[in-house]
Amino acid sequence: MPNIPLEIKNLEKQFGGVHALDRVSLKIMPGTISGIVGPNGSGKSTLINLLSGLLPFDGGRVLIGGRELNRIIPHKAPSYGITRTFQNIRLFEQLPVLDNILFALTDRGVFGALFEKHGASHLAQAEEVLKMVGLWEKRNELAINLSYGQRKLLEIGRVYAMKSEVFLFDEPFAGLFPAMVETVAEVFRTLKAQGKTIILVEHDMGLIRKLTDYVFVLDSGELLAEGKPNDVLSKKEVIEAYLGE
Amino acid sequence: MERMFFAQLVANSVIAGALYTLITLGFNLIYGATKFTNMAHGAVAAMGAYGVFFATREGWGLPLSIVAGVLVAGIVGVITDRLVFSPLRKKKARASVFVIASLGIFALLQSILSITFGAQFWPLLPPGTGRVFDIAGASVTEVQLWILGSAVAASGILFILLKFTIFGKVIRALSDDEEVAKMLGINTDRMIGVIFFLGSMLAGLAGILSGFDTGVQPTMGLFLLLEGAVSSIVGGIGSLVGGILGAFLLGFVENFGIWFIASQWKGAIAFGLLTIFLIFRPRGIMGKD
Amino acid sequence: MSYLLHLATFFGIYAILGVSLNLLIGYTGLVWIAHAATFAVGAYAGALFATKLALNFFLAMLLAMLVAGILGSLTGWIFSRLGGDYYMLASVSWNYIVVSVLINWESLTNGPLGISGIPKPSLGELSFAEPTKFFLLTLVLLGIVYAAARFITNSSFGRVIKAIREDEQAAKVFGYNTLMYKVAISGMGAAMAGIAGVLLASYIGFVDPSSFDVMESIFILAIVVVGGFANIRGSLVGALALVLLPELLRFAGFPAEIAAHVRLGLYGLALILFMLYRPQGIIGEYKF
Repeated sequence: MPNIPLEIKNLEKQFGGVHALDRVSLKIMPGTISGIVGPNGSGKSTLINLLSGLLPFDGGRVLIGGRELNRIIPHKAPSYGITRTFQNIRLFEQLPVLDNILFALTDRGVFGALFEKHGASHLAQAEEVLKMVGLWEKRNELAINLSYGQRKLLEIGRVYAMKSEVFLFDEPFAGLFPAMVETVAEVFRTLKAQGKTIILVEHDMGLIRKLTDYVFVLDSGELLAEGKPNDVLSKKEVIEAYLGE
Repeated sequence: MERMFFAQLVANSVIAGALYTLITLGFNLIYGATKFTNMAHGAVAAMGAYGVFFATREGWGLPLSIVAGVLVAGIVGVITDRLVFSPLRKKKARASVFVIASLGIFALLQSILSITFGAQFWPLLPPGTGRVFDIAGASVTEVQLWILGSAVAASGILFILLKFTIFGKVIRALSDDEEVAKMLGINTDRMIGVIFFLGSMLAGLAGILSGFDTGVQPTMGLFLLLEGAVSSIVGGIGSLVGGILGAFLLGFVENFGIWFIASQWKGAIAFGLLTIFLIFRPRGIMGKD
Repeated sequence: MSYLLHLATFFGIYAILGVSLNLLIGYTGLVWIAHAATFAVGAYAGALFATKLALNFFLAMLLAMLVAGILGSLTGWIFSRLGGDYYMLASVSWNYIVVSVLINWESLTNGPLGISGIPKPSLGELSFAEPTKFFLLTLVLLGIVYAAARFITNSSFGRVIKAIREDEQAAKVFGYNTLMYKVAISGMGAAMAGIAGVLLASYIGFVDPSSFDVMESIFILAIVVVGGFANIRGSLVGALALVLLPELLRFAGFPAEIAAHVRLGLYGLALILFMLYRPQGIIGEYKF
């Protein structure tokens, strides 16, 4: 996919008259890690939900991979190169760890899935992914039986297996022990080295400073500020927005 | 269309709408509190009808029998909640578990009725009971007027109850958000039991009136449930007003519809209406997005 | 002996129904309460092809599978966009409609009288009329359905339908057109039920609308529930349990008229008790 920036133009989303997103415009450079920060209710998760097709737009457009879209159909999002994790973890609970990863790898078409030809190759790729997040030993364990941290890592592994271009991470570090934080950070570095684009929604400012190249600050559905992490996070209006919440 | 014939169709539609209103009121009340489709609701209605059947056979006289029938339905409804749905709520079972359990209750209740009273059809009133009125060219039986009157009364009473009493406010709070209601100190489990009692009594009344109009049969519950559920969905699940609108829409579409198609296809009309709404407007007439 | 053979044949037919319904409910999460209607479509289609068109049983069965499968895919396409409760309700309405059509479209279905004179299977000189042979045929067909179900559920397709059951929206987000999967499994399950339908029609020699009402759908549901969701072997166990159970009633001495109702009551009770105390069924693999 060509190195075109991901552009979000005047994105709008309303819930019952309240603007969760009020004409937000962002330009994400490819191959970078962009942070999206902001107090609760600022529209961060809504933005992710719109980009991944979970919710329809009320206005605005998204330019990705040379295409201009005014809606993203959920099951087409990966074809535009987009994949995402969920803040509240949405794994396939009654499926084993291995199956959760294989799901991201196998043929999407009905016939292709029924008459799978590449089972061995998928298994090899799944093994690589699970070893990267440290869950290979637990591959036959049902997702519902994992610890919280392991479940978060499985979510990460699942998107890593997607081989998309744009990765949306919705608070992937919440509640993780330092060792696991490092595992996830390593995944980020690997993706960046592959030239992928990452959008990271996060509350932990330390991680934002450490990991991101560029930061966008949202407040009450609007873009409050943007820039390099250290510049933006020390801006007066940004600090006020957080204190005011 | 001949004026008299048209008047008859209108009358039949209104009566049908009134009957479905009684079912949908109870169904919606229970759905609002429990958020699942209780498939046993129709069987509870049948219980009410058979309660009257039993009582009149024992010589209790009509008014007492009706009271008995309504109470039987209410009690059966509460029992299903106490014995089955309440324990499932405590286990935090998923919605399909409730639905499947309610299907089991439906089968069990229907079988009990078949074993006790036989599977055949019985009229609930001796033939020729009650007068027949001529209203603007349509003939309407006394029972049918009772159906209409009951629907109006039940809707009115329920409306007043929900809007103006504390009890009603509690019900509405529970239907809006059970967790919040609990935090407000409401014993939601017991309240749901009360709602089951009320909703089931309404079902019982519907069953009794249906029984007076067209007799009783153990399988009568399914038809009533389907009409009630279709009315609720068409009107917008969770909206009592919507349910009433849906009930009358269904009544009109069915009765005017069978002017075009033979009457055996009546059930197909209900289903057709349901399908159209489910495809084009699943939230129903009054439903929110 | 012939009595046991009779039971065994019924077991085979209902095991096919249980397995096929489990694919929809247990694996995909589609609570379809109209499998008796699908069963009926297969039975009537088979009966009509075999009597009015005088086709060979096996050809009639293939065509009946096609009819049932297409209709199943169509209803799957229309209804499986709906959320859980609505889908279930629509399926119950559908069952009601199908029975209504069978009773009322007399020119096609012969109405309440049903279609009789349905021949036993034969292939050239080989006839399956003899009870042992018919049972073996049933067993072979059950084996084929079982193998097909195992193939489907063990494939990547099987993984996808289970994911749809777990979290359909998340499944979509990862690039799967879940509607197509639901349509496909609805069609496949329906075709299997069609096989059972033709078997029943031929076995009894006669079909009529009364055998295919909502209560029958609830019975097939009970087979799946008792055996265990999302377990193919479980549906065999469930069919065994629920086909044998009524026979135990005979020995309990219930008079014939109420035996059918007692059976219905017991199925209802089984559903209630399993949902309360053992939602994962006898086999207990899938924590429902």
